[in-house]
Amino acid sequence: MTWLLWRQHRAEVGVLGLLVGLFGVALLVLGTQAHDLFPGGTARCAGLDDACAASFRRLDEEYGYLENLLAAFYLVPVVIGAFLGAPLLARELEEGTWQLAWTQAVPRMRWLAAKLAALAGVTVVLTGAFTAVLTWFRQPFDAWEGRFQYDAFDLEGFVPVAYALFAFAVATTAGALLRRSLPAFGVAFGAFLAARMPVALLARPAYATPLTTTEPVPTAGATAPAGAGSADWTIEHGYADATGRRLSSAEYADLEAAANEAGTNVNQFLHARGIQQFAVYHPADRFWTFQLIEATLFAAAAAALLGVVVWRVRRRLI
Amino acid sequence: MTATGFALRTDGVGKRYRKGWALRDCTLALPAGGVIALVGPNGAGKTTLLRLAVGLLAPSAGSVEVLGSDVTASTPRTLSRVGFLAQDHPLYKRFTVGDMLRFGRACNLRFDQGLAERRLATLGIPLDRRAGALSGGQQAQVALALALAKRPDLLVLDEPVASLDPLARREFLQVLMGAVAEGGVTVLFSSHDVHELERVCDHLVVLDRGRVTLTGDIDALLAEHRLLVGPRTAADLDRAGTVVEAVHSDRHTTLLVRDGGLPAAPGWRAQPVALEDLVLAYLRRPGAAVTP
Repeated sequence: MTWLLWRQHRAEVGVLGLLVGLFGVALLVLGTQAHDLFPGGTARCAGLDDACAASFRRLDEEYGYLENLLAAFYLVPVVIGAFLGAPLLARELEEGTWQLAWTQAVPRMRWLAAKLAALAGVTVVLTGAFTAVLTWFRQPFDAWEGRFQYDAFDLEGFVPVAYALFAFAVATTAGALLRRSLPAFGVAFGAFLAARMPVALLARPAYATPLTTTEPVPTAGATAPAGAGSADWTIEHGYADATGRRLSSAEYADLEAAANEAGTNVNQFLHARGIQQFAVYHPADRFWTFQLIEATLFAAAAAALLGVVVWRVRRRLI
Repeated sequence: MTATGFALRTDGVGKRYRKGWALRDCTLALPAGGVIALVGPNGAGKTTLLRLAVGLLAPSAGSVEVLGSDVTASTPRTLSRVGFLAQDHPLYKRFTVGDMLRFGRACNLRFDQGLAERRLATLGIPLDRRAGALSGGQQAQVALALALAKRPDLLVLDEPVASLDPLARREFLQVLMGAVAEGGVTVLFSSHDVHELERVCDHLVVLDRGRVTLTGDIDALLAEHRLLVGPRTAADLDRAGTVVEAVHSDRHTTLLVRDGGLPAAPGWRAQPVALEDLVLAYLRRPGAAVTP
């Protein structure tokens, strides 16, 4: 079985391995330079002293483009998973070779178990390696921006591996049902995009109850968001009156107009009326909890889908 | 060869797809040894029956027993006793012929690599050629060599020569019959072509629209049936046994009868029926299944 697995899938595994390897080397080279901007390590830069501020500015100027570019790479795990999952059954069904494979002395369930384990394993290893390099590369950016933005959370930790397994499972299942590799690949891609949007926008903020901070509007200085630090994930922020009732944007606009009419500084005007700033946020240290929840979500969906495939093969429906 | 002496036994087997029943109430007992032909038009359910026989499909109703054991158990031992050559003889197109043999060796309990290599060498098929680059006839030969190298007790072939040109067809059948002559293997193959069956087969199953319409030993079937030719008559000839088919021309009536003697009426004569005509007569019959 080992030989067969390798012989049948070496092309895909080779191509993906090569791409991930090239990507890893490129990112290691560039990342080493970016990390060198912080001789004491980025962790020491929490205080934002002048030297750190300068380093972060250079990071943004010299590597900001790369960060933007990498934001699109959250799809790479999906490509890896779908690329390995789509042909698993579909190619056998397309070419009729399932009839060859399942009439040898290897029972079909053993054949399927070996295929699923090996290809899911390759998916995990490749996305794991990819994600590890990317997570390391993003360290200085994360120290600055936090890890909850879409270009960080979706690319780091274990969620990319779970995305890849999800794509693998969708592609395998779609391949079993559609009996064609290419449409199965497309379905996996579509399913991931369709699942990710509601998860990122609706489910993810609700993984835990967010915290709320409220403080008086400062009389001077920039209107920095209240309470939440830059590494925290601010979901919502705005103004509330002295009783804590949140102001609508229309009410705030009225106050702003009144301040301009009176010719006073807006912040002083608001401060005098007891208006407060509030922020609803998830603290930065919830990162791993959120990662775990989201990864579990996608991995569970993957397991359920593969369950369908196993059931169909077992019942000899294909 | 087996405790029951049957290569394939089905009991009330049916298979339903989403579109409907592909096979219904199929009860067969096919003896081990010799060559069994499964004949029927396209869409009769031949592929379904063969896939059930090798355990690729599970029946929706009834049970299938191959070489004395339940086929859906699919243990390595039962699987290794049955060789299967699917329609269009699929191979892994990107494998070399050598890779295909290695596949056979890796996936089977017993695999006679030397036998397969000798067969392919005789046919002049190089081991380093990609399977996808071979001609249709050569691909069929590789698939056959692969199936025979398992040294199966039962070899099942689905329309093995349908896609081959006449020369490749002849070569393929030569190799197949050579393997049968070496002994030990029961061959069950399907065909929609009834031509030349008599020369090759010992046993016959006729399948029509998902039902078995005729099954039996070919010599016995030919002995049981005969053509009766006489003056044209519309009346029932009650002494003519089971009338399988009646054909009327302007002046004559031709009856295909089973277990029937000559009518007492004058002017009737009996003659043997060719296998091809027998099969076609059963396929022309509307509806009802006849199983002896």
